[in-house]
Amino acid sequence: MTDRGIQIDELTVRFPTPDGEQVTAVDRVTQRIPESGFVSIVGPSGCGKSTLLGVIAGLQPVTTGDVVVDGRVVTGPDRRVGLVFQEDSTLPWKTVTDNVRFAMQIAGVDRAEQRRRAREAIDLVGLTGFEEAYPSMLSGGMRQRVALARSLALEPSVLLMDEPFAALDQQTRLLLGAEILRIWRRTHQTVLFVTHDLSEALLLSQQVWVMSYRPGRIIDVVDVDLPEDRDASVVSTPEFNQLQNRVWESLRAESLRGFRQESAVGA
Amino acid sequence: MTAAHPATGALAVRVPDRRHYALLGSVGLAVLGLVIWQIAAGLVFVIPAPLATVRTLLANLMTGGYLVDAQVTFQNSLVAFLLGALIGGAAGLVLGLSRWARILFEPLLIALNGLPKIVLYPVLLPIFHLSGAKVVMGLLFALFPILINVAIGVRELPPVYRTLARSVNASRWQTLVHIILPAIRRPLLTGVRLSVSLAVVGVVLSEFFATRRGLGRVVLQAYSGGDYRNMMATILLLVSVSFVLSLLLWRLERRVR
Amino acid sequence: MTVGQREEADPVALPAGSTPGPPRRRRVWGDGRLSALATAVLLVALGGCWEIGSAAKLWSPEVLPAPSALLPALQALAGDPRFWADAGRTGGEVLGSIGFGGVAGLLVGVSFWKAPLVGRVFEPYLVSFYAVPLVLFYPVMIVLVGLGTPSVIILASVMAAIPMALNTWVGLAAVPPVYLRLARSISCTRWQQLFRVALPSAAPYVLAGLRLAVVYALIGCIAMEFTTAQAGLGYRIRYLYDSFETAPMYAYILVVLVVSIILTALLAVLERVVMAGRNRS
Repeated sequence: MTDRGIQIDELTVRFPTPDGEQVTAVDRVTQRIPESGFVSIVGPSGCGKSTLLGVIAGLQPVTTGDVVVDGRVVTGPDRRVGLVFQEDSTLPWKTVTDNVRFAMQIAGVDRAEQRRRAREAIDLVGLTGFEEAYPSMLSGGMRQRVALARSLALEPSVLLMDEPFAALDQQTRLLLGAEILRIWRRTHQTVLFVTHDLSEALLLSQQVWVMSYRPGRIIDVVDVDLPEDRDASVVSTPEFNQLQNRVWESLRAESLRGFRQESAVGA
Repeated sequence: MTAAHPATGALAVRVPDRRHYALLGSVGLAVLGLVIWQIAAGLVFVIPAPLATVRTLLANLMTGGYLVDAQVTFQNSLVAFLLGALIGGAAGLVLGLSRWARILFEPLLIALNGLPKIVLYPVLLPIFHLSGAKVVMGLLFALFPILINVAIGVRELPPVYRTLARSVNASRWQTLVHIILPAIRRPLLTGVRLSVSLAVVGVVLSEFFATRRGLGRVVLQAYSGGDYRNMMATILLLVSVSFVLSLLLWRLERRVR
Repeated sequence: MTVGQREEADPVALPAGSTPGPPRRRRVWGDGRLSALATAVLLVALGGCWEIGSAAKLWSPEVLPAPSALLPALQALAGDPRFWADAGRTGGEVLGSIGFGGVAGLLVGVSFWKAPLVGRVFEPYLVSFYAVPLVLFYPVMIVLVGLGTPSVIILASVMAAIPMALNTWVGLAAVPPVYLRLARSISCTRWQQLFRVALPSAAPYVLAGLRLAVVYALIGCIAMEFTTAQAGLGYRIRYLYDSFETAPMYAYILVVLVVSIILTALLAVLERVVMAGRNRS
């Protein structure tokens, strides 16, 4: 258990803004995610959630500190870490199957293996029958499933999701959330899930990190002790409400601060 | 454009500085062009040097006959542009607004757009005679960019604009002037920019072929007479005018949002 | 159009029938077929009026021969080796300029995307010389290089390269950033990023640029031959005008018209093939 999973150690990410100031997106974050854990990060818009995810994905350089994934320090993009983006990342000129195979092609996976894994991944996300469809024929939710299938096909040990449902409507979000849980229970990957939706975070994960506005620190870690096999009906339970209130309390002051800052800057 | 992009860590470009660099670079490019011209003139006898060309041009511009030629060309270009823009704009509006007009005429227009219209000049000459034919030619050159841009611009207007017009009971004319025209001013301006330079080209190409007066005729006569100084000077005049006009219109286009 | 600020492409250069954004609703049956039908009807009607007008001597046959008089002229062309020589010459020039100009334009467009500052330095010149005004340099070109195919090809290639470069650049600049992030996250090399993600994404714009390149290559070649040349379709039209051979001249003009239509049609087919699947609703 010590070597697997994600270890974030005194991670700090700073960048200069155009007016010469320094903004600290991530400030000395130290956290651990055990192997096969499911953790959500919530926080106001503009805090360093996506930056933090970017570091773990190997796309964002660090200022100080490091991140260790499955025993290896993160220095760049890695096949073991799958990434699902907020925006639609399906390539419109490729069919669903070709999209799912794309990452494998770049990674040099053997052709027959590509086909097998693609089929499996497409089945896993529930898109059987749509293999030859083009993204233009699919709904937003289905396209995100294609993106997920693409990441899953690489058989990563870690899955990072950056507000994957932000662009979708509420019903689709709930359905896809349930799908994610189902898939996670089968694949046992380590999942880090960024969202701005509190109830989504509580519904899906085992632990919720609350992140502050800049400088981005983890100001609260909430263990979600709801039943393992929970479904959408859990949102009406008093335990859920308690958790939600707690998270919102931590979050409220930060959200207000973030809101005010952004309005002042006119961003 | 002022925030750093967290996911990739890429820093956004500071727009003000870069624009100045780009401008400097562009001017530098022009200087480089002049230098190359100077070198070429040194290597190849027939090409006059930049300075000599400019001097010839200035001398020409003080000659009555030359000024008449210049006036002929630019006046005809102006008329060709105005007429072409008017017709093109009107036709573009019709095409943009009416699905039936599109069904009827779109293939023909696409075909005509790709045709080198200069080949129609021998057809126009007997009908419009020397003075008229080149205006018509310039008109044809200038027509299409405006037509196409207006048509596309109108067609891509959000339908909510028309709903808006109906909801305030705007007359056809009011809708046109207050809603449609302002909404398409960017594609329209692009069309105008292209039309202006094409009108000049249409007229000059016609003058290359057959005309009584005009800068095009001057160029070809200078060429056949081996008077390369005059030829270069006139080409310099034509290219500079076309270039400056295009540039000014482009800057205007960028400001219009 | 200012690529530097990521604005929309020059509307003339937008891909045919598409907008950046959600796919258009599929056209009601046969908007395309209706169009084809309507065009056919229109052409027949025009041809009819033309024939009737000529027969009624509304204008002199010297000015505009009747279609019935042109048909034998066209047939004569088909058997005339001089016509094929001219056609070959023009064809070679056009294809050469499309080839050189298209490739050069693509390379330049990619370079501008990779080095936007360089692009912005050149942009005012590319925009101001957008395609046709370059023809004005033709007399200089023939003084430098001589009267013949090379000078035509050089100038027509530049005329074709400019819209190709500008459109490629705009298309690449319009690649959704998430595609590039995706490429990085799966460890694509720079080449893979360019050829497997960026260029395919920009394909609609590149194709629109190619369409313009073809149009301007043809226009440039014909216009230059028309001005002064030794052979070629444009040259022949002028020659026939000077020697008052109206019917053959019109036949040649029709050939040029047909060639431009064929090129446009070929490009439309190419566009349909490359864009298959992308815009279906």
